[in-house]
Amino acid sequence: MGIKDKLKTGVQRNLNQKYIRRLLDIIAKKPVLFAYGSTFSSLSDKYLNIFTIKSLRNAYTDNNHPVGYGSLFLPYEMFHALGITPFLPEVMAGFTAGLGLATQTLKEASSNWYSQDLCTFHRSASGAVELDVFPKPDFVITTNLACDAAQKSFYIHSVKYNIEKNFYLIDVPYEYSKESILYLTGQIKNICMDISSKSGIKLATSKFKEVISLSNEFRKWAIKVNNLRKTLTNYPPYYNGLNFILPFHGLAGTREAVILYNQMYKELKKYLDKEEKEKSGKNKSLKRILWLHLKPYYKNEIFNILERENCRVVFEEINYIYWPELDPERPFESLAKKMLSHFLAGRIDNRINVILKAARDYKIDGAILFSHWGCRQSNGGARIIKDSLNKLNIPTLVLDGDCVDQNNSSQGQVKTRLQGFVEILNS
Amino acid sequence: MYTCGIDVGSVSTKVVILGKKDNKIASYVIASTGSNSKNAAIKALDDSLKKAGLTDNEIEATVTTGYGRINIPFADQNITEISCHARGAISLFPDLKTVIDIGGQDSKVIKLKDGKPIDFLMNDKCAAGTGRFLEVMARAMEINIEQFAPIFIKTNDKVDITSTCTVFAESEIVSLIGQGIDKNKIIKGLIYSIADKITSMVGRVGLDEPVCMTGGVAKNLGVVKALEENLGIKINIPDEPQITGALGAAYLAQNLH
Repeated sequence: MGIKDKLKTGVQRNLNQKYIRRLLDIIAKKPVLFAYGSTFSSLSDKYLNIFTIKSLRNAYTDNNHPVGYGSLFLPYEMFHALGITPFLPEVMAGFTAGLGLATQTLKEASSNWYSQDLCTFHRSASGAVELDVFPKPDFVITTNLACDAAQKSFYIHSVKYNIEKNFYLIDVPYEYSKESILYLTGQIKNICMDISSKSGIKLATSKFKEVISLSNEFRKWAIKVNNLRKTLTNYPPYYNGLNFILPFHGLAGTREAVILYNQMYKELKKYLDKEEKEKSGKNKSLKRILWLHLKPYYKNEIFNILERENCRVVFEEINYIYWPELDPERPFESLAKKMLSHFLAGRIDNRINVILKAARDYKIDGAILFSHWGCRQSNGGARIIKDSLNKLNIPTLVLDGDCVDQNNSSQGQVKTRLQGFVEILNS
Repeated sequence: MYTCGIDVGSVSTKVVILGKKDNKIASYVIASTGSNSKNAAIKALDDSLKKAGLTDNEIEATVTTGYGRINIPFADQNITEISCHARGAISLFPDLKTVIDIGGQDSKVIKLKDGKPIDFLMNDKCAAGTGRFLEVMARAMEINIEQFAPIFIKTNDKVDITSTCTVFAESEIVSLIGQGIDKNKIIKGLIYSIADKITSMVGRVGLDEPVCMTGGVAKNLGVVKALEENLGIKINIPDEPQITGALGAAYLAQNLH
């Protein structure tokens, strides 16, 4: 049975599942993703929703392209150059939480011996795989960059679908060096060649160049968005910089990412122009917050509380553009450099430097590190990050919680911690 | 005129009525919260007014705090326990740098600079290291909680309680009693288990002296002594540590009008 036939069988088998019914409901009725209210608030909001839904729909129903599971820190340009439809189980775990279905997937994971200590992005995704509600993958690609859970749980996904031979782990060295670039370039190239040979999809140089150019274009607009946000105090009400994980990673190298970030830039620019025209509109008492790591993706009150207390998240570390412009003539090497440049690769100092730069650039009053249960790469640095920010007299709240499992945090306790933190900022 | 602070905790509701001119406590009440925090706050306020010989017209402003702070309709403002305990403790010990508060369902460490909170840490959602933990263990051992401190002082040896979870710790204690282990040693171990948990919280926030301990558990001299031993310092205890949050709320109410 070929890849396409397998995919078709998988989709048909899956179609009866409640999860997919719910998902297809959302796609069919064209309403909205979990985090954005009940209508499209703007064109960028609409793009974000449509592109996300399109990406999911392709993974579930497009039989013409292989599906590749990918973990968060991969260079998705390689997927797009190969014509693989990316499916990001960790992002889907967030989506599942937003749909209110994470309790089911987590329960399934628990029944299958996944440890309670495992990060719930991976635990929920593993439960979804066990329930067979995710599209069947043809390839599974992951990396040991930052996340320790991905390399294990993604391998289990490949075993579950009997495609261990199509499992790839990109090993990112600790240090940024010439040797590391060479080593990583070789891995990325070999994986692309292997996938090309197995899938019969020719890896065309022209296609790779186009993808790399689109990635650079997306990068350019993302930098412009980030620069605008340095001075903004008022934001469109729908704007939450923590909602762009899929386009930021999974759509890098596509026209959609360029369209989305270009539109976002236009809308934020309009807000800035309005602010500058109406000087009085400048919200001087606003407390500017730097958000570290991710947020809960189920219904929660965190951002409403901050809003009520006149606090605004003015930047999120996950939106920092950490990589240099890519060279279309040297695509594999460029992607290797992109991975090696990540601030979560190597020493904690890399991350701290990014955080301190953001603290200065965005003139923040305080920082919130959302300490997601089971996420060693993020929580492990909490103390040193807090100490580094405290040296700049920036109060920092380490907010314990869970991005996916709403049963793993108490809303009342979160509220008290946030309020207490705001009281410190205002004192 | 007077201000009022109400600390609606998980176990008890505390009310303090504070004179605005002289900063003297006109009256205070500690009552059980029960299942209806709003009614508990209303009743405790009534009792406190009666005790002080005042009417509610003489209360210029009311601030609520504690886990039930939001549901009190007559409050002018609600402020977290962090700010209120810090303010209350500072009114008693002006040079304070660290406040350790152990209440019924949460424990917290607050770091102060120039009399204002600059950092804090609260226990996670588990009841380990709180007053509730002690209560459950006292019940399991069929010993009045007031006996814990004298037993702690007179007992030299301890048995380590390895379970952090309140439910598991209760089972562990039942099992230890079943093994014929001296109850006094178990009590000493229990008190150290709370003190160790708080010690690690203090370590995370950073220890700066002078230190004050507030909340109902501060009345348990065994816990205080174990903490002093762990931290190697002397801890200040208010005359009535349980009302510190309500006292701070009453002080913060003075800023409202």
